[in-house]
Amino acid sequence: MKLSLNMLREYTDIPVTPKEYENRMIMTGTAVEGMEDIGGGIENVVVGRVLTCTDVEGTHLHQCTVDVGAAAPLSIVCGAPNVYAGALVPVALDGARLPGGIKIKSGKLRGMVSEGMLCAATELGVPADLYPNVGDAGLLLFQEDYPLGSDVKPILGLDDYAVDFDILANRPDCLCAMGIARETAAALGTPFHPPAVTVREAGGNIQDEVRVRVDDSDLCPRYSARVIKNVRIAPSPLWLRKYLHAAGLRSINNIVDITNYVMIEHGHPMHAFDLAKVRGRQIIVRRAKAGETLTTLDGEHRVLRTDDLVICDQERATGLAGIMGGEESEITETTAEVMFECASFDRTAIRLTGRALGMRTESSGRFERGVSPATTMAALDRACMLVNLLDAGDVVTGAVDLYPAPTPPQVISASVVRIAQRAGTDIPAQAMVDILTRLAYQVTLDGNRLTVAVPAFRSDVDGEADLCEDVLRIYGYEHIGCTRLRGETTQGGTTPMLKLAARAAGILHGMGYIEVMNYSFLGLKQLEKLGLPEGDARLAPMPIRNPLGEDTAVMRPTLAPDMLKTVAYNMNHGTPAANLYEIAAVFDHHNPTAEGLPQETQTLCLGSYGEGVDFFTVRGALEAILYAAGIQCEVTAGADQYYHPGRSARLIADGITFAQLGEVHPATREAFDIPRRAVLAEVNLQAVLQHAVPMGELSPLPRFPSVARDLALVMSETVAVGPLMAAMRRAGGNLLESIEMFDVYRGLQVGAGNKSVAFSLTFRASDRTLTEPEIQKAMDKVLRSCTAQFGAILR
Amino acid sequence: MAMLETLQTIKRQAEEQLATLTSTAALDALRVRVLGKKGELTALLKGLGQLAPEERPTVGAQINEVHAWLNERMDAHLALLQARERELALQMETIDVTEPRPMPKIGAAHPITLVMHELIECFTGMGFEVMQGPEVELDHYNFELMNLPKNHPARDAQDTFYMDDNIVLRTHTSPMQARAMLTRKPPIRIICPGRVYRADEVDATHSPVFHQMEGLVVDEHVTMADLRGTLDAFAKKMYGEDVSTRFRPSFFPFTEPSAEVDLTCSSCHGKGCRICKETGWIEVLGSGMVNPKVLEMCGIDSTRYSGFAFGIGMERLAMRRFGIRDMRLLYEGDARLLGQLR
Repeated sequence: MKLSLNMLREYTDIPVTPKEYENRMIMTGTAVEGMEDIGGGIENVVVGRVLTCTDVEGTHLHQCTVDVGAAAPLSIVCGAPNVYAGALVPVALDGARLPGGIKIKSGKLRGMVSEGMLCAATELGVPADLYPNVGDAGLLLFQEDYPLGSDVKPILGLDDYAVDFDILANRPDCLCAMGIARETAAALGTPFHPPAVTVREAGGNIQDEVRVRVDDSDLCPRYSARVIKNVRIAPSPLWLRKYLHAAGLRSINNIVDITNYVMIEHGHPMHAFDLAKVRGRQIIVRRAKAGETLTTLDGEHRVLRTDDLVICDQERATGLAGIMGGEESEITETTAEVMFECASFDRTAIRLTGRALGMRTESSGRFERGVSPATTMAALDRACMLVNLLDAGDVVTGAVDLYPAPTPPQVISASVVRIAQRAGTDIPAQAMVDILTRLAYQVTLDGNRLTVAVPAFRSDVDGEADLCEDVLRIYGYEHIGCTRLRGETTQGGTTPMLKLAARAAGILHGMGYIEVMNYSFLGLKQLEKLGLPEGDARLAPMPIRNPLGEDTAVMRPTLAPDMLKTVAYNMNHGTPAANLYEIAAVFDHHNPTAEGLPQETQTLCLGSYGEGVDFFTVRGALEAILYAAGIQCEVTAGADQYYHPGRSARLIADGITFAQLGEVHPATREAFDIPRRAVLAEVNLQAVLQHAVPMGELSPLPRFPSVARDLALVMSETVAVGPLMAAMRRAGGNLLESIEMFDVYRGLQVGAGNKSVAFSLTFRASDRTLTEPEIQKAMDKVLRSCTAQFGAILR
Repeated sequence: MAMLETLQTIKRQAEEQLATLTSTAALDALRVRVLGKKGELTALLKGLGQLAPEERPTVGAQINEVHAWLNERMDAHLALLQARERELALQMETIDVTEPRPMPKIGAAHPITLVMHELIECFTGMGFEVMQGPEVELDHYNFELMNLPKNHPARDAQDTFYMDDNIVLRTHTSPMQARAMLTRKPPIRIICPGRVYRADEVDATHSPVFHQMEGLVVDEHVTMADLRGTLDAFAKKMYGEDVSTRFRPSFFPFTEPSAEVDLTCSSCHGKGCRICKETGWIEVLGSGMVNPKVLEMCGIDSTRYSGFAFGIGMERLAMRRFGIRDMRLLYEGDARLLGQLR
């Protein structure tokens, strides 16, 4: 919200620089987003009168003499078409500065001396609505009389700052000059003097002019109105236009400007009706009827719901309460009778109607944030006072004021000690009283007890904690102490899942893996690219009701699509090799928790490509992570559909699948625009955490020697080495310490469709040196099991 | 006496030869020739019998003396030669240590994770325990228990993603305050890092997914000064002893009083620069004393206990820490950028 700093000065003193003011407001809770020096960059531009004006032949120029209150008139050449002898104009003197860093210097123009420049409005940065008689084409011509040589900045409202306040959601009372001025006075310790409102009534009786009925006072707790007759529509005076302009509002005419002025001064949105156009001179405030329609001021035809509050005349709805008036009763040049409405509407109702109709106006925004019903009459009277002041019409005696259930004033009983305790700051009781009083509370202090009547406009205040905040922010947050926590010691620490994730991450970092992060959303299209079979639960992920877009419409049930996207991105951006991982939750709403929320399973996803990367490097990474968790898995061929069917596997232990991995299926690669081979893996970290085996004691070092034996076996290509080695381990029993595969040979010597695999077996007993017969017996057993179960024979 | 002369000759010759030897092999040969079983000195000893019995002991002793003396000299020379030979061998093995070879690639955590771990370390050191909770959250925890009842206008400001009327994507980590208070008894000191969601269109400073870390303390006699002291300690630990905090009044429905917390700008040390918009301060978090209404709704006796809470935006910290100007880069997964982390 923008306000003129000069306007604020009408209600309180601001004896500090604009910068200091900004800082003090920020530090007491009124954020300042910016401060625009309206006349910034203008220097040495004064009022001057054109004494003589002669055309320069053959050009569009005029040679003028100009009196700027100095000893001798200046000689200035001017090209504006509207210059004339006798005109009162802004004159940029020698050495003057104009907006945009322009500097004016004496010089010669076509051989003629020019000791300055007569200024157009645009050259001074003065907008048309602030000074309506300025044209773009010509000079700014002053209408009023000003002393020659006086600075033009105050005259044109250029000696002001437009302060952009950012008002907190709980302080709608600060959305106006009075509210800000009250805060300013409290913050600076200066007196607050709101305008003394007196209305000069011209007789008559409002009861004879208009009848008002509120049918739904739950949505309209207060409705106040006054009537102006003999309205004299005219432009507003400059002072009013300046303030409206600084607030970002356009000047329309005196009546409309008065309603806007009262809005920025008192925070009350008002509405002015052309009373002659109100059928039956009657106003009815009620909920809309089902299917009722109306045309709003913006020309839109609107269909209403029964929860929408409308303002009606005798015949029909003409305006949306608190949002927008109707076209018919709009103020025009010919308006002769005006009714001012100043009401309070239910904020939720306004919000829901605005939302349903897609409308948000200055007025509705204010009602949504909350407008106090307590002050409608004060605002209305202020508007009538301005009518008097501007001579815009005659105020009819009396007012309509329907306020069936006034909000009772709120009184809070608070403890000085508790407030100081909460603040952790020693604030004297008297300081609390002073601060609260400056903020318009009515306070009585009795020992430790504060009894505080809350001003009606402070709907946000309902307890001691609120008073504590008000006291503390004016007293100064900078006075809050800085103490360490006391009390019982607590055990700090992280969670098992974070520890596991950090362990896995550490292992991966050692292997060159880089962590990436993706949004938790996906689009169905990305999921469909995985080629999962129909009916797979992942194809029916949890939808977001109001997603940002199609690509972010569901909660991801797998990290795979994002990792594939990331792999594609890097491959297509010239990164020849990359090892990537992401750790994040995947969401499954098909198996909700006891609270009805989706299962969130922390998952690790790897993506790896480039020279030296294959299925086995990635499997190694997974095995290392599982090893660190004490889990030893069997490798089973095959994984989900988006993996290469012959180059993928699941890592399983005790029937639990901890991970799957594999080369990305060529069809999937195509769908994700991945030009070269890449390996993908997914690990269920939740399962790993659940089944992790804590570190136990270490095995003692061997005291007896080991014996190594090699074994080369010929077998069919279809035999998988993993299960074969598992069988060898079982057959070798306790004596078999370890097996390593060290060679695979394919060639004529072993026959087509066969392979020869060489193993090194290490035997050891913990309590004796093994004898040759013992080892031979074990070797025979191993070989027999290989032959029996896998058809493998000794080479 | 001829024998003694011979002895002196052997000694002299051996000594002369020794000085010229350059290899351990030649030394071994010399040792065999002079001192060996069939060597020159052994031969002299064998000739002792030809001497007169009274001469034998003195001559014998002299031969032994020369033997010992030569032996010692040869050992010393051997050590010298061995050292020289090793040096030579090492010289032969010299490599060009400046030749380039690829460095084993090490990976790194994401900027957000790095910042998260720094925050966790900082606060666990002060006795805070990490607690984690659901990202898809009940409206009840995310809003209602945080003093944001249905139709509260502040809800609009949070641009919430809804799953249905009762389930939302958490808009802040604050619902963890409620979950902590409902399941634990004071003293409570917890931090809750995690993903949060707002329906913001993506741009350089907005992301629909981002990360926060909630902090909550509930105990007897917790004050706003404790909040300040805790956050001041956090700022100094994260950014150095010369960093200070500034509290500004603010509004959050779930805290009262509320404060935005600024830290001294680390680029200009408070003097004012482009990064801090000439203010000398950088806004890093929102905080406040837990609203007594929130305590009561979460089953904590607000007349006995008080508390404070804070919420730190991790993207902001990470972007400042690593000089990342566009938030989108954090979620693009470009190895050329993230690969620079270590």
